Amino acid sequence: MWDNILSALPLLFSPSVLIAMLVGTTIGVFIGALPGLSATMGIAVLIPLTFTMEPLVALGMMAGIFNGAMYGGAIPAILLRIPGTPAGIATVFDGNPMAQKGEGLKAMKIALMSSCIGGSISALCLLLLSPPLASLALRFGPVELFWIAVFGLAAISVLLSDVPVKGLISACFGLLIGMVGIDSMSGYERFTFDVLELSSGISILVILTGLYAIPPALTLAQEATLIKKGAEANSLSASKSKIRWSFFIPTWCRASIIGVIVGIIPGTGGNIAAMLSWNETRRVSKDSSRFGKGAPEGVAAAECANNADNASSLIPALTLGIPGSSVSAVILGGLLVHGLQPGPELFTQSAPVTYGFILSMLVTSIMLFFVGRAGARVFINVMYMPPLILAPIIIALTAIGIYAINNSIFEVWLVFFFGIIGWCMERLSIPLAPAVLAVILGPIAESSLRRAMIIGRGDFAFLFSSPIALVLVTIITLTILSPLIRRVIGHPLLKRASIPQSNDSDQKKHLDS
Amino acid sequence: MHLKTSRSLLILCTTSLVSSLALADYPERPIEMIVAYSAGGGTDVAARTLVPYLEKHLNADITVVNRPGAGGEVGFTALANAKPDGYTIGFINTPNVISIPIERDTRYEFSDFSLVANIIDDPAGFSVHPDSSFQTFEELVEYAKAHPGELTYGTSGVGGDDHLATLALERQADIEMNHVPFPGAADVRQALMGGHIDIGVINVSEIASAAKAGQVRTLAQGGEERWEEAPDVPTFKELGYDLVMGSARGIAAPAGVPDEIINKISEAAKAAIEEEEFQAAADQQSLPLSYLAPEDYRAMLEEQQERFQALWNESPWNE
Repeated sequence: MWDNILSALPLLFSPSVLIAMLVGTTIGVFIGALPGLSATMGIAVLIPLTFTMEPLVALGMMAGIFNGAMYGGAIPAILLRIPGTPAGIATVFDGNPMAQKGEGLKAMKIALMSSCIGGSISALCLLLLSPPLASLALRFGPVELFWIAVFGLAAISVLLSDVPVKGLISACFGLLIGMVGIDSMSGYERFTFDVLELSSGISILVILTGLYAIPPALTLAQEATLIKKGAEANSLSASKSKIRWSFFIPTWCRASIIGVIVGIIPGTGGNIAAMLSWNETRRVSKDSSRFGKGAPEGVAAAECANNADNASSLIPALTLGIPGSSVSAVILGGLLVHGLQPGPELFTQSAPVTYGFILSMLVTSIMLFFVGRAGARVFINVMYMPPLILAPIIIALTAIGIYAINNSIFEVWLVFFFGIIGWCMERLSIPLAPAVLAVILGPIAESSLRRAMIIGRGDFAFLFSSPIALVLVTIITLTILSPLIRRVIGHPLLKRASIPQSNDSDQKKHLDS
Repeated sequence: MHLKTSRSLLILCTTSLVSSLALADYPERPIEMIVAYSAGGGTDVAARTLVPYLEKHLNADITVVNRPGAGGEVGFTALANAKPDGYTIGFINTPNVISIPIERDTRYEFSDFSLVANIIDDPAGFSVHPDSSFQTFEELVEYAKAHPGELTYGTSGVGGDDHLATLALERQADIEMNHVPFPGAADVRQALMGGHIDIGVINVSEIASAAKAGQVRTLAQGGEERWEEAPDVPTFKELGYDLVMGSARGIAAPAGVPDEIINKISEAAKAAIEEEEFQAAADQQSLPLSYLAPEDYRAMLEEQQERFQALWNESPWNE
């Protein structure tokens, strides 16, 4: 293997490949930062353009876009409360409160560093641990996938804020939206109202941009016409203080492991990795009440996990031809175009290109640090942009991004429709995150359960038949019971937790995002 | 956004000019090719691989436009309702293009298409885990007969070619198995390799490399003949079943396009497929090429339509 790595190095460090990786990373950051555009789409659009390129130039660029976009999604999440990609939702929880406190630049630095570390660890796993991790991926069948989805849904419970009913309304709304479309198990249409465009379901990007990007734009416009708020302007001032990086090491370790494992599981992506990682970091923290109000570890946990998901989602893709996420599915298409068939031969016959590509995942993770550092100074200026200009820009970019995915004007209207719903939800203090997470997790849970029931011939004991399933059930039980356990064991903790409830509205506001 | 503008410009041009101009000049404008599946998917990659060669032989610019949704129905509807001037063509996939109008009310009919050329014919294949006790297809059928409803088979969806092939087979072999639908072929492959299902029904091109690597064992496939990339795998026909089933991808245009234009595109497609460079690219993607001229293509699809309709009338597959 070391021979293969060495033979790939001269290819990798040729000027054209280096430039391609740099360009890819930069494009990726922008794609990720624009709501409505995602890495999947960016790479899909790029593939036909790479037909005539050298394989490694094309693949290096794809690697850059992949890594860049996963970090890019954090920028609007922190600065504007708009996650640029679905994987950025968990970054909003703590990233935006930090920006509100004037620590926007600090939050972006933490997000960047965490992204680079998560991406690098993931790339190293892809390089060194592919075979054992690929066999782990195969052990995730419908049963295990069902429990992963339930785990994610259980994590929503901590987002319910102080009025659980509102959080539950939001989650149920998400589950309902997730049911729209042709049922993949029976072929029947559900809640499509005879609208052709609804029959393939509502895309997660439509929901995400609708609920998250439109309401802030409306609020911005509203505020601009009422009173001029000066609060945003101090985002640079407090960020001069040094960040103690060693503080984040445990968080990064945890987040990387979660990200890598979620990455190799087919059908799950960075959004689930970030959510689970944020939730676990919060759970093990001594003072979990800080989370959702600008805890720096929250940002680190989410961003590290969603980049740690990247290269690892390529492990089953490269070794078995099974993509671990929608982005790796598109990259798989790109590999095929360049004559690289997934499977063991990839690591023998086409070793220089394959190892070159794997190393480019590592190199772009590091490049991201420099691109991101330069970009942060530019992006932070968004905070100073007059709301009257910013609001229409957000709406226009959103509309263009959504139209570009499927060339469908229907989906643009749908985004505005969800935008109005999202705005109403914000007005009523109904948190948005449970809805979006339920849209992602609901269909996975439903179809996996039904698949498991067919395979297990209706026997519910089948759901507890594998070691992985039992481990997951245990963790889920702990997650659900942990508030109860805490209440029983630690009365002082309860008292401390009840103090900040005096400013409920504050907590609610952060969790809403 | 500029796509939209160019499309409206295109419509403007067509309405004012096309009727009067001589067909001999075709093509004199860029051609739009609708792909009814997402960018980066199997059909999309195949289409985009073909386009440069088709452009060369047709002497025109071709733009690929993805209109995914509803198992292809969104794109098929857009193609069927496009102006029949030869400047909008698209890829249609069997069985979806035929089975969707049988399953539900659609805004297009099979008769709304002029058929140009079939390009790819990818037979459905039956594969098992390498550790499975089934060495041959006969052993599998025998076991299934003795244990009705015990074996599970995964497909890439209700009403897809994998599912329809298995339904037809179950009827002919008088066996009964449990259907587990998955969102796509990659998911079926994963479930098969992980031992979560007994049989994976997957198109041969999508399982070829895994079979070569010894990760799965393909027992039989639904082609007319054996496939040169996997010469050891027998066809259902050889095994005594009257069953040819797979997913064919070809080019179609809206009904009403003049025959001269159809033939011109079809000839260009034929020339493109015969190019060695394109064949090498198709080989890399394991695409089983199978050119059919317009009449043969129509005959094949009509035969399929009759078969699916009969299958549906007997018992709808989404029950």
